[in-house]
Amino acid sequence: MVEKIRTVKDVSCPFCGTLCDDLEIDVNIKTDLVVEVRNGCQIGTKKYFSSNPSDHRYMKPLIKVNGEHKEVSWDEALDKAADILVNAQRPLLYGFSSTECEAQSKGVELAEILNALLDNTASVCHGPSLLAIQDVGASLATLGEIKNRADTIIFWGSNPVHAHPRHLSRYSDFIRGYFRTDGRNDRNIIVVDPRNTHTAQIADKYIKVNPSEDYELIQAIRAILRGNELDVKEVSGVPIDDIKELVEELKSCNFGVVFFGMGLTQSLAHHRNVDTAIRLVAELNDYTKFLLIPMRGHYNVAGANQVFTWNTGYPYSIDFSRGFPRYNPGEFSSVELLLRDEVDAALIVASDPGSNFPAASVKNLFKHPLISIEPHKTPTSAFADVILPAAIAGIECEGTAYRMDGVPLRLRKVKDAPGETLSDKEILERLIEKVKEKMGE
Amino acid sequence: MSLDNLILLTGRTISQGVALEGGKASRENVRAAGICTFDADDFKKLDCLVGTPVKVITDYGEVVVYSTITEEGPHQGIIFIPMGPWANQLVNPSSQGCGTPTYKGMKAKVEVVKSGKVIGAIELIGRLKEA
Amino acid sequence: MADIKLKIKKKLDFPLEADSITPDNFAGKTVAEIKKLPLYYATKKVTIGDFFDVSGKSTEVANTKIIIDGDLSNVKRIGEKMTGGEIEINSAVGMHVGNHMSGGKIVVNGNADDWAGAMLQGGELEINGDAGHYVGSAYRGYWQGMKNGIIKVKGKVGVESMLWAKSSKPANKWPTLYCGSAESFLGIHNHGGTIVVEGDVDRCAGADQAWGNIVIKGKVSRLLPSYKKVGEVKEVQLPNGEVIKGKFIEYSGDHTIKKETNGRLYIAV
Repeated sequence: MVEKIRTVKDVSCPFCGTLCDDLEIDVNIKTDLVVEVRNGCQIGTKKYFSSNPSDHRYMKPLIKVNGEHKEVSWDEALDKAADILVNAQRPLLYGFSSTECEAQSKGVELAEILNALLDNTASVCHGPSLLAIQDVGASLATLGEIKNRADTIIFWGSNPVHAHPRHLSRYSDFIRGYFRTDGRNDRNIIVVDPRNTHTAQIADKYIKVNPSEDYELIQAIRAILRGNELDVKEVSGVPIDDIKELVEELKSCNFGVVFFGMGLTQSLAHHRNVDTAIRLVAELNDYTKFLLIPMRGHYNVAGANQVFTWNTGYPYSIDFSRGFPRYNPGEFSSVELLLRDEVDAALIVASDPGSNFPAASVKNLFKHPLISIEPHKTPTSAFADVILPAAIAGIECEGTAYRMDGVPLRLRKVKDAPGETLSDKEILERLIEKVKEKMGE
Repeated sequence: MSLDNLILLTGRTISQGVALEGGKASRENVRAAGICTFDADDFKKLDCLVGTPVKVITDYGEVVVYSTITEEGPHQGIIFIPMGPWANQLVNPSSQGCGTPTYKGMKAKVEVVKSGKVIGAIELIGRLKEA
Repeated sequence: MADIKLKIKKKLDFPLEADSITPDNFAGKTVAEIKKLPLYYATKKVTIGDFFDVSGKSTEVANTKIIIDGDLSNVKRIGEKMTGGEIEINSAVGMHVGNHMSGGKIVVNGNADDWAGAMLQGGELEINGDAGHYVGSAYRGYWQGMKNGIIKVKGKVGVESMLWAKSSKPANKWPTLYCGSAESFLGIHNHGGTIVVEGDVDRCAGADQAWGNIVIKGKVSRLLPSYKKVGEVKEVQLPNGEVIKGKFIEYSGDHTIKKETNGRLYIAV
């Protein structure tokens, strides 16, 4: 018997910042289960399949009673969540990167009403890139430009084979472009990394840099670019002749791009690694065309930065405690706040700090009431006092997401939200209503 | 059966990405992210079979993970643990004032454990709640 | 000097923002009026009287001295924007102490948290302990930071101290930092600041320095490859008129910014 299938085409994948927009999803019409995913990478495909109900997908709201999660009504769960937030002296609203822009906007609204701290996952990821851009600007591009024009592509501290699996096929390596008609053969791929990653193994040139010493290497490149002869024989493990050769290669290309990732932002020097990389790209424009794009990890962390900035003026690590938004990464960053134990309640939306924050900060996170808006069981939601089960944006509800290059794409709804789940946006709207009620507005 | 003077890097792997979408409480996640990848020559010095649990120790904590040999080497002196709950027992929480912790570049040492179990993500993070 | 004494009387679970504690705000006010000045605790607006015992007398700004006791390690923004007078803090102090200060003197008898003396426009900040990150530096998004004044830190300063410092020869403004030792990126993006370190510094001192003078009497963990040796000197003449005696190797940099530069870094022999 042939099952009836609904096929949805041109679906934007809600996993990584590459935001591939060519997925095709087959849904069984009777059971409303995802049965096939075409064109997605392993991870995107898995995400669609894991939206099907399972023992680790939340269907109903839960409240922790005597150490166990007990099913309750939406009303009861939202009431308890609102109580926690209203009674907290310094609540933190964190996450927002794996949901769509309208939900992110509701997050800002809620933070403002509560005079809370507001942060998104850029805080532990590309926050340093944003800090660097605020200091020295950035010569950015869209992925389409790169696909069509770039003949020299550098991956610095980034391993797309593992983290952005279709990036190379769709934009940066194998695909034929308008001016790159011979695809891979028309491109020169350079990888800079302490390890000979799988991306490095398919590159034309691999530069092994000592861990945590990228800054010095880029300074050497820039100084040589300025026409200086340096006093040293090697920098950061790279022989000076190799560096000079690289400089000539970069100067003489037609159109270059630097894609950079956590190798720069999560190593010592953080935003200063990105600062000097941005300056290098700008200075190469004295010789040729050179641009850069940060390899954003989540499919809509760029959107969270956009939405927060439209509303508050700032992209992340925001404090509303004095009645207006203030910005200071470090002082108002989630991990630092938790390490200092300065937060007495947390609302975690569309993210998993339990897994992704350093252990010492998670310890303090768990000391205080925790609300988790989350579709699946994770090391964050498993320990939450209130679990508000979410429909998955990009699968069970529509919305807008911003790709790593700042291009907004529409997320599709391919199936209905299962069980009693609601979209993040609707959950936050209802939470705002409850909070306003309790605050007497 | 131990190694000193190592540098620990953490980061994304595609298996870890698949596993986290497949269920963070699963054994698949343990196999994908509860591992430590060694350079082939470094691993010989540990004198144990691939898959033997090892204890990784940094200034910030310690954790037992399964050992494996890298496909992304050689990288003598460097060990790699995929991002996630196991890696985060070991990373430097300090951001030096910028807000983003230092997830890469910690000094580390490794010991083969005679008897050690690599515990699941929920149980591992759950220990932070009790403490 | 007329003294006003403050003693903190509550334990802090959250940071207390005390930007109202300045000689400018206290000058000419009675103790009762001072007690009513606002502070910010978590998300609540409170008063000085809620958190501090207050006694003493004030006079005009220049002769008002505020002495603060108790545990102030989580009290932020003391001395913000002050133009004169003195503050003496007998404890470790929270972030942003003396930020935007343009005159007067603050003495911290303890460690200071991050952003001490940020955006300093003048006056003197003395820390008899260690200081955190971003000492005398610019705030986020500002491309000019400390423009004048003197910061003295007995112990260590954290990363990126004196970020975007800017001096002015015509206006005779020489922002200067004296410290015991320094973490990485000391003087990054320096545009004329002067830094003298009694001990050692970590990597990347003078990163992207356009011009300025950094004198290191101890060791450097790793000198930037974009710095070049000029020669040896027996003393260093600083633009503020001070002369530092001793044998130093003179380096020019940062050559990432310019092929030829007046920026200088001196490391003791």
